[in-house]
Amino acid sequence: MKRTLLTAFLSVILSTVLFASGADEAKGAKGNGEPHVFSPDNPVTIDAWIVTSQTAPSPDNKISKLLKERLGVTLNYDITTPDQQLDRIGIMLAAGTIPELVGSTDQNARLVQGGAMLRLDDYLDSGRWPLLAEHVRPVRKKLTWTGGGVEDGLYQFPNYNRFYGNPPIMSPIHWGSAFWIQKDVLAFHNYPSLENMTLERYFDLIESYMKANPTIDGAKTIGFSFPMQGRVWGLTNPPLFLAGYPNDGGVMVDDGQAKIYANSKYAYDYFKFLNMAHDRGLVDPESFTQTLDQYLAKVASGRVLGVHDQRWSFGTANDALVANGQYERTYAATMPVFPGKKPYYADRDVLNINQGFGIASNAENPELLLDFLEIMLTPELQTILSWGIEGEDYLVDENGLFYKTQEMRDNFNNLTWKQDNRLEALLDIMVKRQGELPGGNAFAAGDQPGEFFDSLKQYDKDFLAAYGLKTWRQFVNDPPPNPAHYPAWQISPPDGSAAQVANQQLEDAAQRYLSEAVLTSPARFDSVWNEYMAAIDSIDVAAYEAVITEGVQARIRAAGGE
Amino acid sequence: MKSKIIRRGKLHAEPLIFHTLNYVFLALLCIAMLYPIVNTIAVSFNDGLDAVRGGIGLWPRAFTLDNYRTVLGMHTILDAFWMSVYRTVVQVVTNIVVTSMLAFALSRREFKPGRPIALIFVLTMYFNAGLIPNFILIQSLGMVNSFAVYWVPTMISAFNLIIMRTYMRTIPEALLESAKLDGASDFRIYLQIVMPLSKPVLATVALFVAVGAWNTWFDAFIYNSGSQRLSVLQYELQRVLASAMMQGQQSSQSSQAAQAGMGLSMVTPQTIRATITVVAAVPILIVYPFLQRYFVHGVQLGGVKE
Amino acid sequence: MGITTSPGVSAKKRPWRVTFKKQWQLYLMSFPMLFYLLLFAYVPLLGWVMAFQEFRPRFGLSPIGQVMSNKWVGLENFKTLLDNSTILGQRFLQSVVNTLGQSLLILVLGFFLTIMLSLLLNELRQTGVKRFVQNVLYLPHFLSWVIVAMLASTALSLPGSGGFLNDFLMKVHIIDRPIQFLADPGYFWGIVAGTHLWKNLGWNTIIYMAAMTSIDPNLYEAASIDGANRYQKMWHVTLASIRPTIVLLLIINIGMLLTSGFEIQWLLGQGVNIVRSENIDVFVLRYGIKMGNFSLATAAGILRTVVSIILLTGSNFVARSLKQETLF
Repeated sequence: MKRTLLTAFLSVILSTVLFASGADEAKGAKGNGEPHVFSPDNPVTIDAWIVTSQTAPSPDNKISKLLKERLGVTLNYDITTPDQQLDRIGIMLAAGTIPELVGSTDQNARLVQGGAMLRLDDYLDSGRWPLLAEHVRPVRKKLTWTGGGVEDGLYQFPNYNRFYGNPPIMSPIHWGSAFWIQKDVLAFHNYPSLENMTLERYFDLIESYMKANPTIDGAKTIGFSFPMQGRVWGLTNPPLFLAGYPNDGGVMVDDGQAKIYANSKYAYDYFKFLNMAHDRGLVDPESFTQTLDQYLAKVASGRVLGVHDQRWSFGTANDALVANGQYERTYAATMPVFPGKKPYYADRDVLNINQGFGIASNAENPELLLDFLEIMLTPELQTILSWGIEGEDYLVDENGLFYKTQEMRDNFNNLTWKQDNRLEALLDIMVKRQGELPGGNAFAAGDQPGEFFDSLKQYDKDFLAAYGLKTWRQFVNDPPPNPAHYPAWQISPPDGSAAQVANQQLEDAAQRYLSEAVLTSPARFDSVWNEYMAAIDSIDVAAYEAVITEGVQARIRAAGGE
Repeated sequence: MKSKIIRRGKLHAEPLIFHTLNYVFLALLCIAMLYPIVNTIAVSFNDGLDAVRGGIGLWPRAFTLDNYRTVLGMHTILDAFWMSVYRTVVQVVTNIVVTSMLAFALSRREFKPGRPIALIFVLTMYFNAGLIPNFILIQSLGMVNSFAVYWVPTMISAFNLIIMRTYMRTIPEALLESAKLDGASDFRIYLQIVMPLSKPVLATVALFVAVGAWNTWFDAFIYNSGSQRLSVLQYELQRVLASAMMQGQQSSQSSQAAQAGMGLSMVTPQTIRATITVVAAVPILIVYPFLQRYFVHGVQLGGVKE
Repeated sequence: MGITTSPGVSAKKRPWRVTFKKQWQLYLMSFPMLFYLLLFAYVPLLGWVMAFQEFRPRFGLSPIGQVMSNKWVGLENFKTLLDNSTILGQRFLQSVVNTLGQSLLILVLGFFLTIMLSLLLNELRQTGVKRFVQNVLYLPHFLSWVIVAMLASTALSLPGSGGFLNDFLMKVHIIDRPIQFLADPGYFWGIVAGTHLWKNLGWNTIIYMAAMTSIDPNLYEAASIDGANRYQKMWHVTLASIRPTIVLLLIINIGMLLTSGFEIQWLLGQGVNIVRSENIDVFVLRYGIKMGNFSLATAAGILRTVVSIILLTGSNFVARSLKQETLF
């Protein structure tokens, strides 16, 4: 009897599990109907999946209320942090459930490959969504998914760096990579020219300052550090910049060919130099093991004279220094290069691909979702999303330019306030009119020139004056238009491929051997380096380079066909 | 007789040395356990930007209540807090009822299927079918985005079952036999004899379940992400922690764009993290002494009875 | 093994219908839960077919459709994992070694110290002090692993960055210059064991303490009359009485040897120490889930399960032949 019961039971379960049906695809006219009229009398609810590290808005959020009262739209959020995204994607594909509006940031576009996203091209050509069509028009070729077994086309609207305005209003701050140096170090040396910077000069500036100031605020001065946890590029990217290449990630691209540089002469020279700098006591040995928090704590303590990092990455540390009034401990960008090379640290802001909103292939009414994105792209709603509500969150001067009071600025840094008054999660993934809003305002408050100069402190004004410059961006190179393939780091090897494994291996080997190579005595450097080279030789580098080169070529072809 | 006298003489020195060493050792251990926790509490009362500079010990350097104001002012956290309380209570109750009943059956040596059933349960501690198959099952049962997913799949844990079964086996067989002779059914024996005698182990398991239920976030993440209403405190904490701790390279690259575009600070200040940690730990710390009082009381009952 | 004990065996002596009639309430108390378990724990095991496929989920297919649409690769995934000549294989096997090393350290140290601590706590006579100490020792258990990892990385850093362990060791002159604990792979297994102990040492005493409180006080009196001193009583009465608990926990934990936690290894595992930090869980996350390779992840899970069950049944068998308490 037990056995029969069991059999009966199992068969019930099996049939439930096995024949639970997936969703059928909605077919129909693509954009021929009338656009949805958004009004409170015509309420709609939209399920949105959003990958972001921003938190969900509170239930009675001010902007949520506005969307509901003005457009009749209620959004059901499903928010996942970036590191947990892949768990959800695998499940969504296998289980066949996905919210209708999909805001993913997966570089490998697994949802597209798994058939979960609608191809948007057919819709956009109908003319029903002019703003969205214009949003992607100049960059459409770049956004086209090119992967195995999937029809090429547009699947996601990019969430960042589609710029409006001619020229667009760019941030006065360089947010990218540099060898940053404390302003006080430069002041100490009487504002030396930063042209033709070399590694030698950079570390000499640090060393002489360090000799004069062995401690800062009672703590031991640290010469040079970089982030490592989750940000390996702090360690691995410098050879690229020193050799005058832009940030292509793990490869250098010449004539459309991608080649790793971890085993290049440039890498050897840089790490050999770093090894000697460590021997001179200039490199913080903890750089290789510290967590991100510990690194930021050191930078924020004002006793780290130089870092190789991207500016956004040590943002909180910088804020802490500013809040403490230690402007002389904040950083200016320098661009050391090897002899005969031209610095290419700054690039043109790179369009995000495979990130942003798309429509699930099981969405019941894709047109409605596009209507929603379309109305959200109107300047009026863009302003509300980015700046907030006039009078409450920002003010307008006689020239129509937006500005804020200090209280309004403070609100924007207040987590609780943001949860109640801003839709940060939605904004993170939403299509945006970056660069310039109609009326000459910057899209983001932080980029508004007036806001920048108003909040500049006397120390920084004097510092900029000493160099005869107006903004922090002017400390780095003025980037030419990005190469057609750029940046190669956006090209991801397919899942489970030899190239993907090789990439992970290269990263692991770099962390393991480079730390040893830098920390060892100069006499032993070469033998550790040779071990590292042997480790790289055992990795299938060719497979990795081939995949990246293929991606580079495809992009060059796409650009040429324009 | 003689030996007894000698031992008496020793009796004064020996406990003194033993107790002194014991107290010193336990005191050191307590310090080792407490220091990092007190430090976390200190950080939670410290100004955020000041804390980024590190070096806070046992006392906040720049005292503020702002972190608590921020955290407790976040609706998502407050709502999640109550959901956590709710799910913990439900999970403890269902676990205790179901586990004790099964443990009772399995503790009866004359119940032949007991051993294979125990084995089938024990094996579940050692495998996991994986994310996707589990999700498909839960989905087929219609439990995605529902409260049910918090307590139905977790009604029983093999480990707690074994603990209870082992405990119940220490109850003297004679007690059960005499009840049987009086004509008591198995249900009555379970309810009126075994359950009251099992208070210590019930309290222990209740505590295990409560801690587990309170601290878990994975089910909320996998099954209930689509419903903010059903979010639990630890998941909200996890989100705050994850955004700072586990930045993969790719996500960093995209957040670079986020930074460039928005000029926002990406890394959550560590004080907020410390505060949420404290907020997440305090409730169970408050509940614990009550449970322990009951638990100690129950233990004594169980001990004296025999 | 135990599974073969079907009611049919005893049928000769007593027909199971008779037993059932007598014990129907016990059946009612157990069988619904058995079915429940089969549904929630065993039915999903059907998903293990993934390990024999190159699993690429397709949207909108039913589970059976998923299985049908994927390529069958036989034992390919297992071969990859166990092939020491490929990089993936080497990494996996190294992760197995690390897992075993880490969990053996946790097991051995954990058992010894937890029992010792329980005995010491049991000797505290003032209930107020005892309760206070217990509560303090339980505290770390309530912190999440992520927090513990952050605390550990601070504790282990250099003195200038708040590394109080180095501070302490230098003050008591055990070392004369600070150690970079995380930079030397040799320390990593110890770090894993240390954090596990810190978090769970106190908590794990709960089970032993509960077992100790049920010891008949008469036994202690009888031992005293027989002239046993404190240590002899701890050994012969207390420890002997909680032996079943010890044996059970030992069996359970031996089966878990291929699990050594995840967060510490993931969060403190840097390139520098990767040779000793990467365990099976980290391997599966890096090379399985993060690369969308669910087949590889499943295959690793199956391998782990098979070995675990062998260890479990093996230790249970040994315990039974030594006439000790057994799990099943």
